[in-house]
Amino acid sequence: MRRAWFLALAALAWAVCGSAGAATPGSPDVPTPYVPSTTVAVDEMLRLAAVGPSDLVADLGSGDGRVVIAAARDYGARGLGIELDARLVEQSRVHAREAGVEERVSFRQGDVLVADYRDATVVTLYLLPNLVEKLKPRLLDLRPGTRIVAHDYGFSDWKPDRRVVISKSYMLYVVPAKVGGKWRLEAELPGVGHELDFDLEQSFQEIRGGARVTGGYLPAFEARLEGDRISFVLVDGTASHRFEGRVTSSLEMQGEVRSGVGRTLAANRWRATRVIGVGEADDVKPVTQ
Amino acid sequence: MTVTNLNLANPFRAGLLAVGLLTAPAVPAQDVPFVPTPQVTVDEMLRLAGVGPQDFVLDLGSGDGRIVITAARKFGARGTGVDLDYHLVIQSEESARQAGVEDRVKFLQQDLFKTDLGQATVITMYLLPAVTRKLVPSLLNLKPGTRIVSHDFDLGDWKPDRKTYIRKNVFLWIVPAKVAGRWRARLALPPIERQLELEFTQRFQEVDAHARLNGVPMQTWEVKLEGDRVSFALVDSADRENEATLYFEGRVSGDVMEGNLVRGAGSTRVTAPWRAVRSK
Repeated sequence: MRRAWFLALAALAWAVCGSAGAATPGSPDVPTPYVPSTTVAVDEMLRLAAVGPSDLVADLGSGDGRVVIAAARDYGARGLGIELDARLVEQSRVHAREAGVEERVSFRQGDVLVADYRDATVVTLYLLPNLVEKLKPRLLDLRPGTRIVAHDYGFSDWKPDRRVVISKSYMLYVVPAKVGGKWRLEAELPGVGHELDFDLEQSFQEIRGGARVTGGYLPAFEARLEGDRISFVLVDGTASHRFEGRVTSSLEMQGEVRSGVGRTLAANRWRATRVIGVGEADDVKPVTQ
Repeated sequence: MTVTNLNLANPFRAGLLAVGLLTAPAVPAQDVPFVPTPQVTVDEMLRLAGVGPQDFVLDLGSGDGRIVITAARKFGARGTGVDLDYHLVIQSEESARQAGVEDRVKFLQQDLFKTDLGQATVITMYLLPAVTRKLVPSLLNLKPGTRIVSHDFDLGDWKPDRKTYIRKNVFLWIVPAKVAGRWRARLALPPIERQLELEFTQRFQEVDAHARLNGVPMQTWEVKLEGDRVSFALVDSADRENEATLYFEGRVSGDVMEGNLVRGAGSTRVTAPWRAVRSK
């Protein structure tokens, strides 16, 4: 939740406008005012991200610490709050002790744009749109599968994987693996062959592409990417082949391909390795760990 | 399973049909020409509908019988195909024998508008929009949860519940329960008992609801209906110090909807059963 000193005045202006959106565009230096999320909003964010005991929740602009504390107290998670206002950081630590979760949460005074939260499995934010946009490149570089929940203000071009409206809007984004490029796909596909050139184009979690086969092209239907999970369907003359798998590194993905349906279904393993052309190697970065 | 008024891919049949339309037909007027559905699309229709051994698949305009035969052979279902064309019915029966599924499928030379749709758990079709439009009222009266699959042609205003595109568009509709009207529920959520009144409006599976909690009007959120499954959320803010969202999930059966409701989230959430009855 929201950094800033601005406090009463900004918060009041915010409340009066009803929507801060009007005040923001074109004024990138307006700090996000401190507007605490309601209990209902905190619950909805953590619920939408399906936070559990194995998660580390990082709240960017953690205010009085309520998201982080609720994640630890009510969901068994660990938490990290990043907040610019030192007084709010101190207050958060007091609240964490009062809630008995001080061992599982930490609060850092700092700027969300430079803070390090790469270990987080869930990132929550309730920030003004310009700041959300500025954070985007770093959020996209988080480990694939990291869940990001935003409240009221999402990204301009990155569509949420899920959106829920309960009084306010909540958006869930799952950081997509980077899969765009050329791949060599190995799979036992009767009638198609077992090594195909496979190309993918990617825009956030949206992917499209297809496989080159002797004398033709098989489009990848129903191509989906959620975090590191990828799926698509290739169709030959007689059957569909449903590929499901994981992107295991920036250079490899693998999984199972099911050919046919029902009782005629045959399952096989598949694997794809990235094809790196001359001079391209530097463009392929390892998946952020 | 079959259609298109201008089937360029099948000029022979389209030609025959045109001739058939210009001359007095010897057989009952066929509303729909026979255009076989590709096997991959047949597979996808049955997969999308989640067909299994407990299902009874009814194919309206069954052509050469491939959908019903595939449902029996690959998915273990039973099924019936109806078609106006006697020769296609005979051909389908022969194909069923060859596939070894003749004891689980049946083909009838019959007008689909005179067919009892109520026996089916899954209805498949590939009919011209003008024909399906006439079918919609009967389809909506089927048992909630009945699945309808088609390809290429949708059902107009009735939006599909799911859609896939694998060479062709394949659509799935789930017959929605009828929830329009006023409902009353008593919610056993300690410490205070709450009276909930709901007024649902409905258009196909698209639903909305107005609620009153202990007489106080409130907005409902995320109102959804799929078959007989209903869900929605309310923000219970009567007690400002203890605000929480109420998530309702339940099943509709006639004039009763019941299920579980969750107040809040995380370890502080409370679960309680709920049951609403439609007011006459």
